[in-house]
Amino acid sequence: MGRFYGLAKGPARMAVSRSLARWNLELQGGRPPIRYGFALISVAVALAVGLAFQYYDFRDAELPLFDFAIVVTAWFMGAGPSLLAVVLSTACFDYFFTEPFYSFEVSRQDLAYFFLFTAWAVVTAWFVGARRRIESDLRHTRDRLQAEVEQRKRREGEIRSLNNELAKRAGELQTSNSELESFAYSVSHDLRAPLRHVVGYSELLQKHASSSLDEKSRRYMQTILESAKRMGHLIDDLLAFSRLGRAETTKSPVSLDRLVNEVVSELGQDTKGRDIAWKISPLPVCYGDRSMLRVVIVNLLSNAVKFTGMRAQAEIEVGCVDGETELEVFVRDNGAGFEMEYANKLFGVFQRLHLPEEFEGNGIGLATVRRIIHRHRGKVRAEGEVDQGATFYFSLPKAQDTAERTADTP
Amino acid sequence: MSELGRILLVEDDPRDVELTLTALGDYNLANEVVVVRDGEKALDYLYCRGEFSARSNDSPAVMLLDLKLPKVNGLEVLQRVRSDERLKLMPVVVLTSSREEQDIMRSYKLGVNAYVVKPVDFHEFVNAIKELGVFWAVINQPPSGSMKTAP
Repeated sequence: MGRFYGLAKGPARMAVSRSLARWNLELQGGRPPIRYGFALISVAVALAVGLAFQYYDFRDAELPLFDFAIVVTAWFMGAGPSLLAVVLSTACFDYFFTEPFYSFEVSRQDLAYFFLFTAWAVVTAWFVGARRRIESDLRHTRDRLQAEVEQRKRREGEIRSLNNELAKRAGELQTSNSELESFAYSVSHDLRAPLRHVVGYSELLQKHASSSLDEKSRRYMQTILESAKRMGHLIDDLLAFSRLGRAETTKSPVSLDRLVNEVVSELGQDTKGRDIAWKISPLPVCYGDRSMLRVVIVNLLSNAVKFTGMRAQAEIEVGCVDGETELEVFVRDNGAGFEMEYANKLFGVFQRLHLPEEFEGNGIGLATVRRIIHRHRGKVRAEGEVDQGATFYFSLPKAQDTAERTADTP
Repeated sequence: MSELGRILLVEDDPRDVELTLTALGDYNLANEVVVVRDGEKALDYLYCRGEFSARSNDSPAVMLLDLKLPKVNGLEVLQRVRSDERLKLMPVVVLTSSREEQDIMRSYKLGVNAYVVKPVDFHEFVNAIKELGVFWAVINQPPSGSMKTAP
């Protein structure tokens, strides 16, 4: 079929070759009567033409004619029909074209000619059949390759469209990120100014009129001032929290041991006069952003110190479970604890489970912890019981997935 | 304190102006304070044009510059000052509500001398203004060309 390829190019060529191939396969895979019938007819036609030539005294045309019939049969109809064609051709040749004519006997002088014809017919049929098999194998291989190429093209198209979708999403994310940034900027700039004025003018009023104000009015003034200042702190905390989500992380090996010891000795300043039993197990080196992980440790340890304030002897334990794929650090205290029912609320922004009079703070610490740990692809959780203390856990993935880590962006 | 520098305060919010002047007054810093309310006016003052065309041609000892200003914003004013041969040595302090990293970085890249975030707490605010006034208008020796006035 190869010779047809030159006729057309590209998809047209493919279509031509495919329809020819289909035709071939249909014939070869056709029912036996059709295939053997074809062999019969092609030999009959060759015989008829050969006899016609002989009639006009044009000798020796029968050899190529029968050959042609065998070749055509072998090519299009396969092994069985080609064998039939060989047998029929040999028989016809013997009967019609070797002396004595019109008998199956072969004269001595034509014996060589007859055997030559038979051998030639067999060899031709075999050769054509073999060629045909090889070619159909090649065609199958080519079709499979073509199908694979097409499938690959289709997949490439899918990947491209997914990529486009992803790029679109990334663009949207970029937009909403910059919107968030400008929002944070406005909050930072515009919300603080009026607050400063509330505080400033209240202070001025207090200074100018405090002698003429009664006790109640002075308390009102004080409340206004404190509330405004508190709002200032909330805004600052919220901005710091939002910056945390946008800041770049620079990761390196971090010794948790050293980090915890540093933070504990820093907290020592605030815990003078308190009886705190620190129990710190050896901690491994992890991989992360040192300053961010420091914020995590500071928040968890100062929480533990804060919520054990009412204990005569506070016990704070820091330890680590070194797992196969991650390490989990925990901070356990014997402080106020909490109801497990509300455990999932602990890590929300400005979520508090205690009254402000009991424990100070505005509820951003654990939200900060969670955000930092999530940015490290880790998890946080908490266990606790009222008046029995609490345990806070954070996990960090271990340092084997280098590629993933370096690909980490905010 | 034999000599006091003139302070140019660029601030659009009248309440901030009042609080700043009160803070400076509280500590008896009798510096001459010129208040302009937007970036354009600040440039008019520095280039002695418009309503300031009659003033003597000298630079203030320090310019206290807010970032968020009408018309020409603080960073633009800073950029113009730093690219002007005559004004580029003038001490400029950014005094703003913004604690944003990008504002801080851009200000320093443009060559600001100091960046101060206005504290919310009034005592801290007064302290900050007082210290700025004392440092830049009294202690600091400005480059020649800026005016020093007798008290």
